[in-house]
Amino acid sequence: MALARVDRLGYRHPDATRPALEDVSLELQAGELVCLLGPSGSGKSTLLRALAGLVPHFHGGTFAGRVEVGGRDTRRARPSELAGTVASVFQDPEDQVVFTLVANEVEFGLENLGVPAAQIPLRARAALEAGGVGHLARRRTSELSAGELQRVCLASALALGPELLLLDEPTSQLDPEAAERLLERLGELEAAAVVSEQRPALPLEHCDRVLFLEAGRLLLDAPREPALDWLERNRPAYLGKLQVVTNEDRAVPDQIVVRLEHVAHAYDGRHAVGPASLEVGRGEIVALTGPNGSGKTTLAKLAAGLLEPASGRVDRKGRAAYLSQDPGRYVVAERVDEEVALGVGGDLARARKAIGTVGLGGFEARHPRDLSSGERERVALAAVLVTDPDLLVLDEPTRGMDPDRKRALAALLRRDSARRATLVVTHDLSFAGDVADRAVSLETSRELVVA
Amino acid sequence: MSPVPAAALLSAFAVAALLADRTVSVAAIAIVLLGVCLRAPRRRRWPYLAGTLLSGLVLFLFSPLLGSYGGVVYWEGPTVPVLGRLDVTSNELEEALFQGLRLASVGLAFAAYALLLDHDRLLQAGGRLRRSVLAVALATRLLPTLERDAAGYVEALRGRGVEVEGLRGRARLLSPLLAGSLERSLNLAESMEARGFGRPGRTRAPRPAWRRIDRLAIAASVLLVVSGVLWL
Repeated sequence: MALARVDRLGYRHPDATRPALEDVSLELQAGELVCLLGPSGSGKSTLLRALAGLVPHFHGGTFAGRVEVGGRDTRRARPSELAGTVASVFQDPEDQVVFTLVANEVEFGLENLGVPAAQIPLRARAALEAGGVGHLARRRTSELSAGELQRVCLASALALGPELLLLDEPTSQLDPEAAERLLERLGELEAAAVVSEQRPALPLEHCDRVLFLEAGRLLLDAPREPALDWLERNRPAYLGKLQVVTNEDRAVPDQIVVRLEHVAHAYDGRHAVGPASLEVGRGEIVALTGPNGSGKTTLAKLAAGLLEPASGRVDRKGRAAYLSQDPGRYVVAERVDEEVALGVGGDLARARKAIGTVGLGGFEARHPRDLSSGERERVALAAVLVTDPDLLVLDEPTRGMDPDRKRALAALLRRDSARRATLVVTHDLSFAGDVADRAVSLETSRELVVA
Repeated sequence: MSPVPAAALLSAFAVAALLADRTVSVAAIAIVLLGVCLRAPRRRRWPYLAGTLLSGLVLFLFSPLLGSYGGVVYWEGPTVPVLGRLDVTSNELEEALFQGLRLASVGLAFAAYALLLDHDRLLQAGGRLRRSVLAVALATRLLPTLERDAAGYVEALRGRGVEVEGLRGRARLLSPLLAGSLERSLNLAESMEARGFGRPGRTRAPRPAWRRIDRLAIAASVLLVVSGVLWL
């Protein structure tokens, strides 16, 4: 018997002009690992929410068809009743955290499910260990990096011992090694897991089955091997092969735009990065990679001048612009064009040109907050590109971006690369391979390794 | 120290500051609480300390102009409609210092609560009032969350060469902060429901037993309030 059954599911968000899901039917079997792919806005998150009962209970809207999980109709069972059978990890880990301390956060779900008191700390600890974050149990959630927080959210879901685990871009903040470990762990679970991903290379290696959604319709539901053939023929961007970036053929740049010499930084006495050295020249694109917590973002901020080094020195020529890894920070103005124009003294003509460059022409009058996460990401990109900096620092610019959009971004950055020095912080090695002239790895030893 | 005795002790300090009649007593309470707040990391504590100490200072500076307590006149100003004659006297300065310290003490007690207490365990101690205590705990977290969001907006603006300066620059952040806060609350509610919040039959993780220091803190709290009424 199927663990979950989706029968002719259709769903339209309140006030939406087109349905988010149309006539979707599928079954999920116990223990299988399913990779859910599709472009931004194709309905992947909505499908996961429908399986958790959050659609329609929490979001309202128009619901058609039927979803059954563990034999229960999600229209009758509330999400809180399905919790335990189903566990979800949403896209943005920061918006899921209730408690101040990590251990308490993981215990929260167990308390809600009525797990006997004596078992709660044991199960929480086991889940934290399984998520690879046992050492963070007594830390404050507000002090964790995005990658650490994502793993804590995963531990909170694992602690519930669900039969069906729903993960919305669970590796978006994880370094490749951590992502690999996560997917291996998911493959070992007795529970079925549905993993929605925009970095599909790793999930495609580990999954049993692939679903592909586009414009709310399920275009593909097949076991791994036939699915790979289908993707090769129809959506090759989703098979982006990992490329190794080398610096052998690199031309020496004429002008070094930013040079960091033995820089180090600490937050409230907690060591963040360094001593590390790095230089980026005009005309080159450098990918800065490394494990979670190795200090990539801190180094990027030091390069952009947003932080001052505790030791060492930073020499920068010209103007720097920095793209935050959170596109939700680019919603200060009431309209997209006004938001983008903030960096150029309100010059709307330049702003509109930049908006067109990132493929958002026609969105100028929209409120930035009304856009999808992928669209917000592009608004943020336009907001920094419009300033035409000498040094462009991009912190995880592909988070939530589908493979086609990543290719377009790589092409855009390469097209204009001669005008500036570009430093890209990314976990996405496939993107790094597409865009960068060389990659620099910031290891936990804080030493820089040039690939 | 367990959070319940710690919260009781901080409340007792605040109550004692409100009940005390002598400036020196309130000043001592303010100094103790300031010392407690300084144990928090610098980056987190400064908005609380700045807000609290500034409020106390504003009260100290402006209340003498409006009060009428007699004493030696140090300065006489114009007569303002509704407010009357503006002046500063020795008694008014003493009273202003007393009230400023009192306000600072209450603010510092709250700052210590927000900065140093384990709100989670306080919440767990809420028992039947858990939902109400959860609301208070989430509200308490609102300030640090808004502070972090504001820092994020400022950083994103600085990243494109826009410096946020002056009251007008900061006022521009109010609307996105409010909207972001509402958006986050919806996401949080969704996440809580997905983790079974609101389901009947919930249990509680075992809490560590109170230690000697916790019992001493409760005794000290009672003593502080009684002292505030009788001696301070």
